[in-house]
Amino acid sequence: MTTHRLQARLITLGTAIVLVVAACGPSGSTTAPGGTTPAGTQPAGTQPAETTGADLPYDLWVPDPQLLADAQAEGTISTIALPASWCNYEEVWTTFIDRTGLTYNGITPDAGSAEELQAIEANKENPGLQAPDVLDIGLAFGPQAKDAGLIEAYKVSTWDSIPDDAKDPDGFWYGDYYGVLAFEVNTEVITDVPGDWADLKDPQYANSIALPGDPRLSSQAIQTVYASALANGGSLDDAAPGLQFWKDVVEAGNFVPTIANAGTIAQGETPITIRWTYNALANRDLSAESGGAPIEVVVPASGRFAGVYVQAISAYAPHPNAAKLWMEFLYSDEGQNLWLNGYCHPIRYQDLVDNDKVPAEQLAQLPDVEGAVFPSLDQVTSASELITAQWDSVVGVDVAE
Amino acid sequence: MSSAEQTTPVTAPKRPARTASTWSWLGVLPFFLWAVMFIALPAAFLFVGSFLLRDGSVGLQNYADLTTGAILPAFANSIYLSFFSALIGAIFGFLLAAAVILGNLPRFMRSALMTFSGVASNFAGVPLALAFVFTLGNLGLVTKMLAETFGFNLRATGFSLYSMEGLILVYLYFQFPLMVLVIAPSIDGLRREWREAAENLGATPYQFWRKVALPILMPSILGAGILLFGNAFGAQATAFQLSGGTIPLATLMISSQMSGDVLFNPGLGYAVAMGMVAIMAVSIVAYSVLQRRSESWLRR
Amino acid sequence: MSGGGSAPPFGPLGVMRSWLRLSGSPRARRGSGAWWAWLVVILGILYFFVPLAATLEFSLRACAPPNQPCTAPDFSAYANTFDDPFFFSTLAFSFVVGLVTIVISLLIIVPTAYWVRLRVPRLRPVVEFVTLLPFVIPPVVLVFGLIRIYSRPPLLVTATNFGSVALLVAAYVVLSFPYMYRAVDAGLAAMDVRVLTEAAQSMGAGWRKILWSVIFPNLRTAALSGAFLTLAIVVGEFTIGNFLAPYGFGPYISLLGRDKIFEPAAVSLISFGLTWLAMIFLALVGRGRGSRVQVAGAR
Repeated sequence: MTTHRLQARLITLGTAIVLVVAACGPSGSTTAPGGTTPAGTQPAGTQPAETTGADLPYDLWVPDPQLLADAQAEGTISTIALPASWCNYEEVWTTFIDRTGLTYNGITPDAGSAEELQAIEANKENPGLQAPDVLDIGLAFGPQAKDAGLIEAYKVSTWDSIPDDAKDPDGFWYGDYYGVLAFEVNTEVITDVPGDWADLKDPQYANSIALPGDPRLSSQAIQTVYASALANGGSLDDAAPGLQFWKDVVEAGNFVPTIANAGTIAQGETPITIRWTYNALANRDLSAESGGAPIEVVVPASGRFAGVYVQAISAYAPHPNAAKLWMEFLYSDEGQNLWLNGYCHPIRYQDLVDNDKVPAEQLAQLPDVEGAVFPSLDQVTSASELITAQWDSVVGVDVAE
Repeated sequence: MSSAEQTTPVTAPKRPARTASTWSWLGVLPFFLWAVMFIALPAAFLFVGSFLLRDGSVGLQNYADLTTGAILPAFANSIYLSFFSALIGAIFGFLLAAAVILGNLPRFMRSALMTFSGVASNFAGVPLALAFVFTLGNLGLVTKMLAETFGFNLRATGFSLYSMEGLILVYLYFQFPLMVLVIAPSIDGLRREWREAAENLGATPYQFWRKVALPILMPSILGAGILLFGNAFGAQATAFQLSGGTIPLATLMISSQMSGDVLFNPGLGYAVAMGMVAIMAVSIVAYSVLQRRSESWLRR
Repeated sequence: MSGGGSAPPFGPLGVMRSWLRLSGSPRARRGSGAWWAWLVVILGILYFFVPLAATLEFSLRACAPPNQPCTAPDFSAYANTFDDPFFFSTLAFSFVVGLVTIVISLLIIVPTAYWVRLRVPRLRPVVEFVTLLPFVIPPVVLVFGLIRIYSRPPLLVTATNFGSVALLVAAYVVLSFPYMYRAVDAGLAAMDVRVLTEAAQSMGAGWRKILWSVIFPNLRTAALSGAFLTLAIVVGEFTIGNFLAPYGFGPYISLLGRDKIFEPAAVSLISFGLTWLAMIFLALVGRGRGSRVQVAGAR
């Protein structure tokens, strides 16, 4: 009866599907959503930086012609773990694309530092678009990547102006920016804004405080616990008081055991959280633009804790020259200033300020981070181990049945 | 049973018996080929990886580490969570499916439920977690409504969305629909004439269900239950958002080792994954044993 | 035609069924519905829709004019979503990948389940175990395994976009196995496979014709329910897509969640609605030509 018709229809449908997939499936021109700016949307959290070169105290970046030619022969730059709103990265890569004509491939913008190393490891012989060229990882991961042979050395032209304690002497990894942990507060829900760590234990903040991640997994959350040690009688070498601090917060009834993100902050479920200044300030701007709750960012009066991220080029990069070009851009005055627009302190900050290369209004909008302490590699590593190992036993609300 | 068996002799296959058995194996070849290429090989990779230690050497340390720290409680929590969300999911999911198929409800409800279940069964992760935060969190819709309209303080009862009970409640959102979808074909297979025959013999609906329908459906229900258990066991994204550091779960252990920012030890992650495989293997074996027993009811 | 039974009405049994159906059962209350059924359905509706309503309420808090409280529901979160070209391209990509996955999965699973039932019942526990494996291998691990194996010579598949997407489809087919197999197996259990096969064979049908003209049509409900689940999985899946071919909808939503406040809520509601519509469409296509199913050969 209708079996033949059914057959014919199914075959037609199947063929159509196959043709559609082959034709409009991703060809070389499609970029993943993390890649380019969709037309018409304003990069969130940035000042309009499209002033002409004449207004800026620094010169626009001019790529070295030979390197540019080599990179263009490769055609693409593959980055990993770079969210658009983190340190104004969206404007960074858009400017780079405009200036060089390369295609931008942003792999897994949501990834963590460990995933970045894994991505190199897993794609050693893969020249495809899953293999990253460059990394932006936490400080502790620089030496780890170097020991594992995953990165190669490269010293940018502005190498000498990078502080010595923020780079590998052989040039394998080099600091890119830093920020300080600050309180991000939804002032619609919380009228009396906390000013320092000790305030967080105040009973008026019942059911209000959440961490920005799981303190056994997320670097930002672990650093938060580490930072709270500074204000609770600990030091950079002694992170245990940090655990005790959060135990007190939980016992005061102030802790909300969920991960704080933009949605939960705006809705009021987690009106107080602790994040890097650049993330908090970017979210503050975004919230103001889109009708979200008013947000205030407070750098704690004591216990100011700074964290550094580092850049590196993959030893297995499919596009090594593009990678070098990218680094040159990031460490140029223009690149560093673009990060500054995202509220990050670029690593060459002191050098830029000394040479008056930072526009006055950008300087003004940076938060005051005077007195912030920078933990060393060893301190970060041992503190992380302590916190992840002991969080459950010291603080963990034991919920098994 | 039917006259078909009496009038038609048992037909020998058109091909000789020798080729018939060859054909049998060929029939399942594509499936096994696919399974080898895309399950077995990656699984072998994780099996081998579980013996690689953080410093690069080979050994059983990862398996020894399974008994340390929060890993055993993580497995216990995962099993508890999966079991109860599967149990409640199976019961209410079955009721839902039975309601639209057998409950004489308006026709469109069945297809509406089926299509909705298809979508809802995969509504998980951060959107689901946030949906429940917006509903039952401290400032959630229902929480506020209960407080304002009924003067009922949800927090005072000790209920928290960020507890095991809360997680179960959230997991049910994709467990119910999965049960509905999986059990619907089986409920369809309940023939009307069985119910009518039972009625003609004087059985009450309760007796029909207890003596006829449920025993017949039991293998399917158990199978669906195992599916729900596995579904909850392997879920990660939802729990990640909701537990925020307080509830250790097996999948969170794995993802923390594979993709966390610190103490990156993929070998341990693989070992935990192998532990999960072992647990699932045990449940599947248990299910097979049970199914053989209750399948006798299906012999016709 | 209540109850939606899908067993074929052939032979004397079928005649009896049709007759019974025409006369109707004395207890049949057409459309009024049992009280317990209504209760269950209402509880279900409450449970499923209240969280969606809460998400909707949150998404409506977005306002285009900044720095002012919203006085009226403002759909700017939705407007922004529709303005974003990546929303449509990722959703379309995921839908197409989903459809291809469904087709391939059916082509593999139906003959396998059929064969196992008919010819090699001994293999049944093995096949079941294999179909349940995707459950226990977490996607995060599976994807790294797949990349390791298929991104280096001699099996270098990921060098091209097409290769990466093909690998993605293969992985999704694997993810669909538990649901497809269970649905198809239940569907086969509800029909008498052995008798059908023998009847078809006695009329001269070969294996391919049996599968195509007898088995597939009778599995409509079962195949549809498996297809629904597969489509939903593919559209929502994140981990594997993120690493292999991040043009899909799951990675897009996750990215949105990081950078935006209200759009994620709007997008999850929109995708919920769109996927639901797609399923309704699938259901209509599947049920198309009347609910009676036929046996091979002339009537």
